Amino acid sequence: MSGHGFLLVNYVPGTSLVHRVPLWLKFLLVVGCGMASFLVVDWVVAAGALALMCLAFLASGAGPARLFRAVRPILPVLAAIGLFQWWQLGGPVAARIVLNVLVCVVAASILTATTPMQRLLDGVVSLAVPFRRFGADPERFALTIAIMLRSIPFIAGAYSDVRDSARARGLERNPRALVLPVFITTVAYARQTGDALAARGLGEPGPEDDNEEDEGTQDNGTPGDAGRR
Amino acid sequence: MGSILLDGVNVRVAVDGHPEPKTLLDGISLNLTEQRIGVIGANGSGKSTLLRLLNGLVAPSHGTVTVDGDDTVRSVRAVRRKVGFVFTDPLSQLVMPTGREDVELSLRRSVRNPKERRDAATAILNRFGLLALADQSIYELSGGERQLMALAAVLAVEPSVLVLDEPSTLLDLRNRELLRRTIAGLSQQIVMSTHDLELARDMDRVLVVESGQVVFDGGADAAVEHYRALSAAGLPPVGAASWPHTTESA
Repeated sequence: MSGHGFLLVNYVPGTSLVHRVPLWLKFLLVVGCGMASFLVVDWVVAAGALALMCLAFLASGAGPARLFRAVRPILPVLAAIGLFQWWQLGGPVAARIVLNVLVCVVAASILTATTPMQRLLDGVVSLAVPFRRFGADPERFALTIAIMLRSIPFIAGAYSDVRDSARARGLERNPRALVLPVFITTVAYARQTGDALAARGLGEPGPEDDNEEDEGTQDNGTPGDAGRR
Repeated sequence: MGSILLDGVNVRVAVDGHPEPKTLLDGISLNLTEQRIGVIGANGSGKSTLLRLLNGLVAPSHGTVTVDGDDTVRSVRAVRRKVGFVFTDPLSQLVMPTGREDVELSLRRSVRNPKERRDAATAILNRFGLLALADQSIYELSGGERQLMALAAVLAVEPSVLVLDEPSTLLDLRNRELLRRTIAGLSQQIVMSTHDLELARDMDRVLVVESGQVVFDGGADAAVEHYRALSAAGLPPVGAASWPHTTESA
């Protein structure tokens, strides 16, 4: 299975000013860009914001190649959306929508390119701590985010592999030959990842909870059966 | 060396469309005390199910499995801290984008301080000669490097038993040899299933599994010969099995 760098950039070690910006400020930047995409109505403002984001990305030292790789996968989708919006609502609206999406992608890439995953997880855990009183497990919350980020390139890789197989068999125009294997591969991957997490004891309560009765992360089927988790 | 005890273990699973559950393992009673134990057998014979019992990933339908006295059903968390598990495909096991981060993930519960956690991960990766690859995307690593990275992430929490489910299946000759040497240098009790009979010969004791039962239990060489004989039985003569010819019409 081949993997793909997809949308978000992996951490690039460095000591730039962008790397040193506190994590909460980077979170705020991503959330702010997401919210602003609903509020900004002028494509010129959106273009300015995108230019600023690109400058910040490049200032981190991650390089233009990584920046291009981050946005490349969504360019065909954005082109289709842009053309449709141009046809329906005109050029300025189409440009605003496309530029706002790019601003969000680049802002998220700044966060992931300049923050080690472990720090990102620590940040997510800190954010989730107030929800502990409602029964939430911050570590499990952070692990979920990590698995989500990790799964996107895997699924993109699965699609690429399946597309190559379909081409080799002359089935590239058959949607079932593309969708079904990706779906099956993804479900199998999810099961394997679940097994791997359970085997490593990840996502389970910490040692301080060991007095509790063990339960939950095992194949416990109906009596007489070894059921699957 | 620890002791893994399987006492009268059956594993059955319900299968859609079949009224009776399918038996994956039947009447397994073993006391595993040797340091290196191999499990060999055909595809679908029950090797993986047998290994999954040891970490509590599969619960027995009947009988008990204990690791150093801890029951794999009633004390599954304690068992998983003792028993590390390495899967065939490291890509489904490595959760984080880089090896260093995955090792750090293993240590999150035991080492709370981020700086200490990073230092501990560095030390572990250094021990396995993986430091140069620590910050590379796991997709950029070769199959062998990924498998070693997965092994390092599992060993980071210092389990006393290491279970490996066909770890060399996806590896080329060089990476297989690298893995073999790494495993040979480990102090943990090893239980490993494999189709690699050379690797099986390194073991102190080898179980041959066939149709959900242990049909041979003994020394590595004798077990491998038994398995070879078992596999050869019933095969058609060489050249007898061939693809049907298609007749091309002009």
